[in-house]
Amino acid sequence: MHAETKSLGSLDILVVDDIASTRRELVERVLRLGHRVVEGRSGEEALAIVQRQAPDLVLLDLLMPGLDGFEVTRRIRALASDRWLPVIVTSSARGDEHFCHALRQGADDYLTRPVNPELLDAKLRHYSQVLQLQRQLGSAVQRQRDIHDNIREAVLTFDETMRVIDANLEACRRFGDGTPVGLVGAGCRAVTGVEPDELLSLAEATLTGPDGRSFPAQLACSQWFDGGRPRVTVIVHDLTGRHAVDRLKGEFLATVSHELRTPLTSLLGAVTLVAAGKAGELTPAAQSLLDMASRNAQRLGRLIDDLLDLTKIESDRMSVHLREVAIGPLLREATEANQGYAQRARVRLACRLDAADEELTLRLDVDRFLQVMANLISNAIKHSPAEGTVTVALEVTDATARIAVQDRGPGIPSDFRQRLFEKFSQADGSDHRVRQGTGLGLYISKLLVERMSGRIEARAADGGGSEFSVTFPRPGRAGDAQRPLLCIVDCDPDAARRARDWVGPRWRVEIRSGLAQDAPMPPGVSLVLADPQGQGDADAFCDGLRRHFAEAPIVLYSDAVDRAYVTGQGLHWIRKSGTRREDLERGLLQLAADGPLEPAR
Amino acid sequence: MSATDRSRSAEPAAQGREATPLRKVMCVEDDADIRQLLQFSLGTVGGYEVLCCDGGIAALAAIGDFRPDLILSDVMMPGMSGPELLAALHEQGLADGVPVVFLTAKAMPDELERLLALSATGIIVKPFDPLTLPDDIRMYWEHGRGTRP
Repeated sequence: MHAETKSLGSLDILVVDDIASTRRELVERVLRLGHRVVEGRSGEEALAIVQRQAPDLVLLDLLMPGLDGFEVTRRIRALASDRWLPVIVTSSARGDEHFCHALRQGADDYLTRPVNPELLDAKLRHYSQVLQLQRQLGSAVQRQRDIHDNIREAVLTFDETMRVIDANLEACRRFGDGTPVGLVGAGCRAVTGVEPDELLSLAEATLTGPDGRSFPAQLACSQWFDGGRPRVTVIVHDLTGRHAVDRLKGEFLATVSHELRTPLTSLLGAVTLVAAGKAGELTPAAQSLLDMASRNAQRLGRLIDDLLDLTKIESDRMSVHLREVAIGPLLREATEANQGYAQRARVRLACRLDAADEELTLRLDVDRFLQVMANLISNAIKHSPAEGTVTVALEVTDATARIAVQDRGPGIPSDFRQRLFEKFSQADGSDHRVRQGTGLGLYISKLLVERMSGRIEARAADGGGSEFSVTFPRPGRAGDAQRPLLCIVDCDPDAARRARDWVGPRWRVEIRSGLAQDAPMPPGVSLVLADPQGQGDADAFCDGLRRHFAEAPIVLYSDAVDRAYVTGQGLHWIRKSGTRREDLERGLLQLAADGPLEPAR
Repeated sequence: MSATDRSRSAEPAAQGREATPLRKVMCVEDDADIRQLLQFSLGTVGGYEVLCCDGGIAALAAIGDFRPDLILSDVMMPGMSGPELLAALHEQGLADGVPVVFLTAKAMPDELERLLALSATGIIVKPFDPLTLPDDIRMYWEHGRGTRP
């Protein structure tokens, strides 16, 4: 009689009665209801069956010679202490006293004889459902226990005095001798090497194992209650590996950069000199072969540059320095820089600018913007037929400035449009100029444009060819007011700027280093992102935030607080460390979209 | 490869400031192939008098005799790095008025700023174009500080 072989709703029922005729009658009723039956002829036999066969439920006659139903109930409770075995006592005696006595002995329910079949059916259905729920709960608990025991993070649970009351296998290995002995009952400092306050308030800390070796760890704490007593569970994620990978990645970048470019310098240099005839006259065949070598060495160089850029952007190592710049001169510079390439390809490259827009300013990183424009313009030239025209044009609306690069080439194949801005995507083409690309340019451009709060798009141009455009919000314009205002309060200017770059173009952002009187808070704030770290007393800071921003939801974007604290303050929380750009962007959008905000994650 | 490869070209640079044309360039580079490339580019193509050294030590030893108008030095070299060479030149008073241009494969913006902060005159990024390198360093000679890709 194993749980997994039992069909839903059908129970294994032990029917106990010393009188054969009444036992048979009850057994048949039970069988007719679709359950399975084991019969017990005495109290002693019933106890043996409970031990041997683990039935789901017992129907027990109260009045039997030898062990009576009261005593059997008491002993069943003692035997099956690890699980709940419902016992329904039956008797033909009138009056409730003996039923009450049986319930006091541990019985769950009673039925008077002769048994009413409908009542029997109803009760058995009820117990079947309860047992089913109990089994589900049991397997969920078991599954959680398995996960808890076997995950690679160490999980420690502390009681209200911050002594360990539970530790999973990894915690036993990392903080003990592999078993819970010595760990359970020990204090926080003795186990982890840090004080309880630090363990509960820090998102990252350096912990120390029993061997005295320290390791960096990411911490996640949750507070809960066990029958009214507070418990804290701390999940410890060892960051040693991640830190090593970060360091290796940095070293790898530098090494790749140096080690690949050094041989490439000789290779490309030698080929260029020979191809230019500096080492003597070349036959046409040799010239053509050397041109091929030169083209491909140059392509290899671009590929190395793109790969390094990509690695930097994707690992957030590339900093973007946004400042307000006039777009007119910048567009002319971008066009001018590509005129040489256009002339060699016999393509006319024109920049169309209204005099009125000449002094229009945008918030851009000049170098990165020129990099994006170089990519879009050179792509357009590459795909243009000889004697074709590539135009760079600026379109200005109240809220945005859109820079479009248009060519008269064959356009973008429809099946390629989807993959245009993906990594290593290139349209198939027979033109060798097209094949000179690395397949990374548009992807890198997209990432860079997004870092500058813009967006990049491609479409078929009017009258054939294709048009690539980048659109940026105009700083401080009328249309700007339609975007919600986010106020960042953070005394760390780098962190504040990074948050501003990360929240995306949907927000207008004001940054304040603190709540000081001399820097008044901006009016009309829709959302506040604040870090109490370095702002003095956190409670006073939170009170100040609520006073200054009575209307706006307040999110603590901080590693210096924990869930219990933000919940106590009635604020929202996004942890600073470990939160990626997408998480922050999405988190804030969700907060803004939800209206009344969900509690902190 | 010897520590210094010397060549004297017949024609000095035709262009440049009338009064003090750029004539003698010292190249410091640990990679033998790139030394050969620099020799060809600056000597044969550019027409400068070129002295190539395989490291900072050799450069310090040769500078007194050679008396270069400009030093073009690699950054990452075993033994003595480019910035260490620059510091040693200043310390020993050997580079007074001689512009030092760095040649680097690590074209990260922070790296470039760091090098310019060391009072380098300019930076040329590898891979460089050997056909335009002579003009590029002459621009530094004439106009001073900056970065040239």
